[in-house]
Amino acid sequence: MISIKDLKKNFGDNEILKGISYEIDNGEKIAVIGPSGSGKSTFLRCINLLETPTSGKIFFNGEEITSPEVDVNRVRSRMGMVFQHFNLFNNLTIMDNITLAPVTLKRKTPEEAKETALNLLERVNLSDKADAYPSQLSGGQKQRIAIVRSLAMNPEVMLFDEPTSALDPEMVGEVLEVIKELADSGMTLVIVTHEMGFAREVASKVLFVDEGIIKEENEPQAFFNDPKDERLREFLSKVL
Amino acid sequence: MNGFAEKFYQDFIQDDRWKFIVNGLKITLIVTVFALLIGVTIGVVVGIIRCAHDQQSGKELTGYKKVILNILNGLCHVYLTVIRGTPALVQLLIMYFIIMVSAKSKVLVAVLTFGINSGAYVAEVFRGGIMSVDKGQMEAGRSLGLSYVQTMTKIVLPQAFKASLPALVNELITLLKETSICGYIGLNELTRGGDIIRGTTFDAFLPLIGVALIYLAIVLLISYLFSFVERGLRKSDQH
Repeated sequence: MISIKDLKKNFGDNEILKGISYEIDNGEKIAVIGPSGSGKSTFLRCINLLETPTSGKIFFNGEEITSPEVDVNRVRSRMGMVFQHFNLFNNLTIMDNITLAPVTLKRKTPEEAKETALNLLERVNLSDKADAYPSQLSGGQKQRIAIVRSLAMNPEVMLFDEPTSALDPEMVGEVLEVIKELADSGMTLVIVTHEMGFAREVASKVLFVDEGIIKEENEPQAFFNDPKDERLREFLSKVL
Repeated sequence: MNGFAEKFYQDFIQDDRWKFIVNGLKITLIVTVFALLIGVTIGVVVGIIRCAHDQQSGKELTGYKKVILNILNGLCHVYLTVIRGTPALVQLLIMYFIIMVSAKSKVLVAVLTFGINSGAYVAEVFRGGIMSVDKGQMEAGRSLGLSYVQTMTKIVLPQAFKASLPALVNELITLLKETSICGYIGLNELTRGGDIIRGTTFDAFLPLIGVALIYLAIVLLISYLFSFVERGLRKSDQH
């Protein structure tokens, strides 16, 4: 579904990604872990072109999305993204946050979009917040809305950039639960996370990104129980 | 007290002298309102061009679009430097005696001068407003597939406008008071109206204090009205 070939990204003279190649199949749940500054967020942001890769190619359903002729907006509308800091639209109500993109991009009529939004809100138990503004919600509620906002576009893959890192500990659970339900429903996801327990439980593959490359890649059992890479062993001993 | 009544009669009633004040006020308001419209229009456009240039440079823009944006940004830079670097009075005199020598309407000269002048300040106010909006807002919009322009108009600009409003009101107040220099090109606005009365009756106190009070009243009214607008815009901030 997503095929990444020798992806490199520099910020000025600083080489963040030093050549990442990876294949993500339909329905896979990829957890990306690694120390901060390792390039894992940049890797995720390159997938939906929020960062323009310096070199390398990315294919999405066979189409090379890194080609200059590609309409990035169309590509992004098929990939959902959830941010660490939620990034709900502060000037819009929750309902408008969810319906803005589908209506503006003419995917749905305002009525259809509203109906979808209400169904989605029910799924995350936030139906009563439709007319609230983001500033009135807790962090966990905001992040659940952010997930719902992405889902309203019917994406084929969901990208999560440390979705629980900015949350109070007691709110982490409610957000992870929504992501887990999403995973169980068969959605393809890529999640950058520090929640090792979650990665072990939900992921189909875990990647260890460090110093701009994938240092280890395996199924969760083997990844956590029998890490091969020296740096990964050190990392796991600190976080587990 | 008798002296005051007599002075008041001389300054404002006799020979219909109040008309200098009323007609002057009319011109002051006309110049302010139309200059504001021009200023905000120029300011929004220039502010957006400058931000778009800063945010987009090196990113997805390629080819001729990038060249056009660079040229526009250069022009905006020159405009801001020249307008903010010279006194409004000098600009007014240049406009009247050099650029628009053949213009028949002094009001038009004043409106254009103050519009162009205020546009430079509004542009910077607005640029500050746009930059104050968290860049995550733009990223979230773009990640959903919305274009730069769509995200800008639906998400960033409404928030930028709200953030800029106090500074914009400040600019409006400054503009209103600055139109008092129009007397230099012989335009009979409010200040000049009071001054004409002073020159005729040789009483400085009442005409000038009267003019000052009128400016003060308008400024208070503007502040009062916009406090309601701000309160309305704040509904998305409540907790």
